[in-house]
Amino acid sequence: MKIDQIKNGAELTIALEGRLDTTTAPELEKILKETLDGVTMLTLDLADLAYLSSAGLRVLLSTQKTMAKQGEMKVRHVNGIVMDIFEVTGFSDILTIE
Amino acid sequence: MPNNREAVRIELAGRIDSNNAAQVEADILARLAGKKAVPVTLDAAALDYISSAGLRVLLRVRKACTDMTIIGVSSEVYEILEMTGFTEMMTVEKAYRVISVEGCEEIGRGANGTIYRIDQDNVVKVYNNADALADIQHEREVARLALILGIPTAISYDVVQVGDSYGSVFELLNARSFSKILATEPEKMDWCVREYVEMLKKIHGTLVPAGKLPDMRETALSWARFMQNHLPEEAGNKLLSLVEAVPHDDHMLHGDYHTKNLELQNDEVLLIDMDTLAVGHPVFELASMYNSFVGYSELDHEVIKKFQGFDFETGRTFWRKSLEAYLGTGSETKIREVEDKARVIGYTRMIRRSIRRGGLETETGRAEIAFWKDELLQLLDRVDTLLFSASELEVEAVTENLPAVQSFVERHLEAVDCPPRALLQIGVAVEEIFVNIANYAYAPDKGKATVRVEVSEEPITVTITFMDHGVPYDPLAKDDPDVTLPAQDREVGGLGIFLTKKTMDDVTYEYRDGQNILTLKKNL
Repeated sequence: MKIDQIKNGAELTIALEGRLDTTTAPELEKILKETLDGVTMLTLDLADLAYLSSAGLRVLLSTQKTMAKQGEMKVRHVNGIVMDIFEVTGFSDILTIE
Repeated sequence: MPNNREAVRIELAGRIDSNNAAQVEADILARLAGKKAVPVTLDAAALDYISSAGLRVLLRVRKACTDMTIIGVSSEVYEILEMTGFTEMMTVEKAYRVISVEGCEEIGRGANGTIYRIDQDNVVKVYNNADALADIQHEREVARLALILGIPTAISYDVVQVGDSYGSVFELLNARSFSKILATEPEKMDWCVREYVEMLKKIHGTLVPAGKLPDMRETALSWARFMQNHLPEEAGNKLLSLVEAVPHDDHMLHGDYHTKNLELQNDEVLLIDMDTLAVGHPVFELASMYNSFVGYSELDHEVIKKFQGFDFETGRTFWRKSLEAYLGTGSETKIREVEDKARVIGYTRMIRRSIRRGGLETETGRAEIAFWKDELLQLLDRVDTLLFSASELEVEAVTENLPAVQSFVERHLEAVDCPPRALLQIGVAVEEIFVNIANYAYAPDKGKATVRVEVSEEPITVTITFMDHGVPYDPLAKDDPDVTLPAQDREVGGLGIFLTKKTMDDVTYEYRDGQNILTLKKNL
């Protein structure tokens, strides 16, 4: 998986490309742990996310919980197959999807 | 022109010091006169000593050529070159230990060399090609690569000179080849099949980083192109298009996987003769296996006895049983179908090989070629694709094997043009179930999991079965998570199984014969 970050003061945008699964989710978790400090606006760009499993959902959920305490999290460019998964799991209700 | 580019080989002898340095330099430069940009090899086998005046000569010679290699360097001279940093500036090869294989037992013979046992613990592979150093280097590199990727193999630790040729030395203690076991203990046939197929699956389940090994598809394409001149036009075109339709595949192939290349050392099974290692679709491996056990001996049943030490019937039975175990099916139709695909490539290879070795000029050669060609033409009539997938994959249940399991399942799904949405849903379900097994079935120990994929037609239904011998555990028994709760009240776990239940058409669990059996069904 490719993880691109753009940091602009307290705003962080992370673009994910490829597969967010059991083998790659720990990578994203580690990056978030290192960079979320002081971030009040997190945007996750999922335009090129081709695969998402529950391991990825877990990272999204724990990040959502962290950001709820320190600011805001948005998810954008969610493609059709990923949206399916968000809907089945009720994530479409708990994430702010643009 | 070509002569001007050829490497120049110059012998250095005795002592090179301030007494003769100028003369040696003049001699060498005279040999290089008129040649531009040629590689130079200095043979230092007879060189006893080199002083700093001599080293300066080497530096000036190096400037006069593109590429300088010093070979046959004695330990004493090597030490001087190493101390002065010359070993880092140019290629310096130590002298090789000289050994003899006279009277040694021959324990294996492959396309590129013969393996002899030189003492109780060591064997040497003597290469047929006198100029084998590059081959030896290649085999060492690929064996090292295979070992790193998890394939148990022996890596040579020394290069030696054997007569006019070179050999590489391996440690191989008390080892017996599977051919020898099959020849002397026929009752071990089923055990041999099991171990042989387990290793084969391990090889084919190994992903190789791009560009590290040759692509077998390219080789097969060159065979098919060669055959254009020896087959009727239509058949030739079909053969080429069959090979062209095989997709690129980065999984490992051994390339010469027969029972002489599998050794039992104490209780460990080791793969040897790694120089044919490649990547590609398994059909190319099966083709070479078919030839080893059946193809080469189909007309003359004595051939296999000479090569493997067991008879034709044993070879044929071993091949059939191995194919059955490899494909994970008892279906005679499916076995025959895959065998036919292997034979297309197998005959192609044998015909080409025979023609290139002058087969058309001898009566026996012509008879062989005619027989193989006839079989090939019949096959080309009925084989419409070389693709197939084994139905079962057995792997160590660890998350590192998730990509291998995913690509195994995907291979089946691609064959039935699975739509992207279902592909993702099945991928997610397979991940959840496999990762569950990897994390819990055997913890804290390790164990195996088997994944079986079956596709039935009309309507197209994919059935994926996971089996493990871990602690009995029904993942479906857990309550579904409440997916309507707000984020702060949500649990982090339990979503995977829930997703699986929601996206598959049927999910069942049973514990039978000491196995957890979980089955997913998805209608496409």
